[in-house]
Amino acid sequence: MNPNTPTSLPDDDDLQSLAGEYVLGTLSAAKRREVEARMAGEPALRDAVDGWEQRLHPLTALAEPVEPSPTLWARIERSVAPQTSAAADSVKRAATGVQTWWNNLNLWRGLAGTGFAAAAVLAAVLVVRIQTPVTPQYLVVLVAPQDKAPGWVVQTSGSSREQLSLIPLGTVAVPADKSLQFWTKADGWRGPVSLGLVQPGRALRVPIEKLPPLEPNQLFELTLEPANGSPLDRPTGPIQFIGRAVKVL
Amino acid sequence: MPAPDDFDYDAALAACAQGQSQALAQIYARESRYLLGVALRIVRQRQHAEDVLHDAFVAIWQRATTFDAARGAGRGWIYSVVRNTALNWVRNHARDVPVDEESGAALEDEMAVQHHASARDAGETRVDLGRLDGCLEQLEPGRRECIVLAYVDGCSHGEIAERTHTPLGTVKAWINRGMRALRDCMT
Repeated sequence: MNPNTPTSLPDDDDLQSLAGEYVLGTLSAAKRREVEARMAGEPALRDAVDGWEQRLHPLTALAEPVEPSPTLWARIERSVAPQTSAAADSVKRAATGVQTWWNNLNLWRGLAGTGFAAAAVLAAVLVVRIQTPVTPQYLVVLVAPQDKAPGWVVQTSGSSREQLSLIPLGTVAVPADKSLQFWTKADGWRGPVSLGLVQPGRALRVPIEKLPPLEPNQLFELTLEPANGSPLDRPTGPIQFIGRAVKVL
Repeated sequence: MPAPDDFDYDAALAACAQGQSQALAQIYARESRYLLGVALRIVRQRQHAEDVLHDAFVAIWQRATTFDAARGAGRGWIYSVVRNTALNWVRNHARDVPVDEESGAALEDEMAVQHHASARDAGETRVDLGRLDGCLEQLEPGRRECIVLAYVDGCSHGEIAERTHTPLGTVKAWINRGMRALRDCMT
């Protein structure tokens, strides 16, 4: 054997080839898992992968930019928020699934059933179907500014499509001399419009033909107001839940 | 591309590792549209691409403690997390099994549009690929195309063979030799 021959070369070529195709993306799922598992214990493989990542990184500039939908950041933010309960974990798991978590009414109901909503955390999901030939469907997640936990579902049903229903998922503590008031405001509106007072633990029905058509990003909120509601044509008390409409169909 | 100017990606990742979610928000504000573009080219469907970006940002947040600036730039690390999430998604969802005729045609349409858009963009904006550009230029066009189809479009060997009307064995050999040439050129 010639001592001058670097015996590591063929191995190095194999390693570089494997690392290169891992970064390039041409390996099968099984091979990818194998490389990822080996990297932890094989610094040479990890170095080779790092090298290829740096070499090929400029090619990412060939992908044209695409604006994410406005709700994506909120979804990420919820998933990385400190997880303090099993219920919150289930929200996180659902959020990573193929079926988006906010479409899952059972999840919200399940959370209420676990007593999660009873811990004075409030939120609502509003699903609005406008029965036009195009049938756009909107949805709003109203979250408590601090806890971001679900407390209400609002939706229209097929039989009463002119109406929104705000459905409580749990009980809500409101001081005796206060009330909860439901508001909405689209981007182009001068000010918010009251959708009425909300009784804790009771559903609220709102006829939607009184409203202009719902718009993407339309703001919805519940504020704490005097017992008979805000004395003004706008909220005067603190926001208890807030969210924006998202067009889902 | 955003000018990789004043923003300190390494510091932002260090802040993420310390639990400062504001740093993650800054990375998102700065990079999300470029990262979604990268993910969309690979997974090809908007909803899946957004799911991938979601999962990747959760991974960035959770694995920020493992980021080591000595091993490479923070911005590159972020892109690698997104690409790997997208690649794992397409490989796990076995996109390269035969699709039925209708969805196959739809996919081809979509790919044709994207291909056109990317060709146009690459031609018009002439993005700066730096040293890699010169090395890619030196490759035979067939090898270059295979590498770009794999890296940018997330194509498997089989998909590249189909799209370039080249035998599978040839595609594998071209990629192998092309990658070796790139490494020699850039070392």
